[in-house]
Amino acid sequence: MTWNDLVALFPILILALGSAALLMLGAWWPRGRELMGLGSLVAGLSVLAAIALTPPVTEISGLFGAGPYARFFTALWALVAALTLLLSRRYGAERRFSGGEYTALVLFAAAGMALLSGATSLVGLFLGLEAFTLVLYILIAFHREDDAGAEAGLKYLVMGAVATGFLAFGIALIFTSTGTFHLPEALSGLDPASGMRPVALLGWAMLLLALGFKVSLVPFHLWTPDVYQGAPAPVAGLLATGSKGAVFAALLGLTAGLEVGWDDLVPLLWLLCVLSMLVGTFCALRQDNLKRMLAYSSIVHMGYALMALLAAGPTGRTALVFYLAAYTAMTLGAFGVLTSFSRASGEAQWLGDLRGLGYRHPLRGAALTIFLFSLAGVPPSAGFIGKFAIFIAALDAGFIALAVLGVLASLVSVYYYLRVVVVLFMSAADDVPLHGGSRGEGAAIALCALATLGLGILPAPLLDLIAQLIP
Amino acid sequence: MIVPMSHILAFSAALFVMGLACVLAQRNLIMILIGVEIMLNAVGLTLVGASALWQKVDGQIFVIFLMAMTSAEVSISLAMVVYLRRRKGTLEADAFDGMKG
Repeated sequence: MTWNDLVALFPILILALGSAALLMLGAWWPRGRELMGLGSLVAGLSVLAAIALTPPVTEISGLFGAGPYARFFTALWALVAALTLLLSRRYGAERRFSGGEYTALVLFAAAGMALLSGATSLVGLFLGLEAFTLVLYILIAFHREDDAGAEAGLKYLVMGAVATGFLAFGIALIFTSTGTFHLPEALSGLDPASGMRPVALLGWAMLLLALGFKVSLVPFHLWTPDVYQGAPAPVAGLLATGSKGAVFAALLGLTAGLEVGWDDLVPLLWLLCVLSMLVGTFCALRQDNLKRMLAYSSIVHMGYALMALLAAGPTGRTALVFYLAAYTAMTLGAFGVLTSFSRASGEAQWLGDLRGLGYRHPLRGAALTIFLFSLAGVPPSAGFIGKFAIFIAALDAGFIALAVLGVLASLVSVYYYLRVVVVLFMSAADDVPLHGGSRGEGAAIALCALATLGLGILPAPLLDLIAQLIP
Repeated sequence: MIVPMSHILAFSAALFVMGLACVLAQRNLIMILIGVEIMLNAVGLTLVGASALWQKVDGQIFVIFLMAMTSAEVSISLAMVVYLRRRKGTLEADAFDGMKG
């Protein structure tokens, strides 16, 4: 590792070293809210560094990319970490989260996500993925007085550990077939001329299984609703946006270098995409818990993202990255509103808890409405533009059945999102006001709402930017 | 190589499947975690074998990364085990079924 490598790694080093520094600081100065605020600042610094500094090299030690693509996602995940910490301040203080550990873990998770998104080697992919998976095991069960959190943590731990085994074995098999971890050379084992093709195919199947688990594609989705419901709301937001988006960013990098062998994977991915959209939609229809509904809807959304991946080509890849950014803004916003409604006694996650909130808390009610409409794909919102771009790309690439199914799934989705909005603006049964929300939470939600609407009304600048930086 | 790669692959695949069977069949949390460890050891074996096959040190370096990662994972899982045991008084995975739907 040379000096230039370290300079190129600077935004991620800020996150990782800042995480370690805040952990140490927390041992002597146990002030939760202040530490979380400092953590937001550190993450904000990392965003600035990722945007402003030009990396002297494009690849770090043959493990991670430092090009514009990696920088874009570094900035995005650092921003998500900053907003998560901002949202967690009151939530954490009421539940007596120890600030040092919580802040350090969230920052470290962002570092892992940034590394994963820019991985140019299977080793880098594994290390990045594990860096934030291990962190999430702890964060999900962070609230020590909560049985649901403990159960969610256990489920994610057991399933995640098995997925790690599959991921590592898949990587080992791919290495066996080609003798290198570096992408895209490591993918040449899928060439029919190569003697190790069966080994490479098995390796790819295991890799896709493990990554499919992380982004909760059907049939590897069973952990998702329970973990979303049990995890603290800000952590669920981080899990829903960062961990899934980073895996998709890495998948895009993986498949972009895949010249031979892509045709072998298309039928498999096609099936996963169809199953995710169908099962996710049907399960989301009958949920009375907002967090579980968001979990199933995230499965559907990962189906859309997979459709963009399948469409390949520059249009498909641009649509995928744009959709990841849009999905991050609206999902983080929805979990942010949920966090800001929570009281020390519990979260308002059941539909009944939300009755009449649109009148009592009009601003946050309106924000939640914006996020849900955007998730449903109603114009003018980021979700609409994202879905539109994906369906166009799928039609161009000849996946007509997928595009039709996607349109139908998003039509049905209007029903389960609208159900929440209707409840929000019903007359309240009892007059128990939820928490008024703090200023930090308001700022984070406002930023997400602004991004959701802004990307919906003016998507061109971001689309142009993404078209330049995709691999 | 003295041992052919196909033998190493067959052996590590058997080890991996045994670990997976342990995860699926056992209901005790500790036994499930042991199963995961067996799966990861199968990975290490494959990597060392492949590294000898291609005469490259990359695979062996990855095994060291894997060991470091596994120890981190074990320490987190054992902390979870202690915490869950305190909360529920049991380590049977079936006891944790509060959320459904």
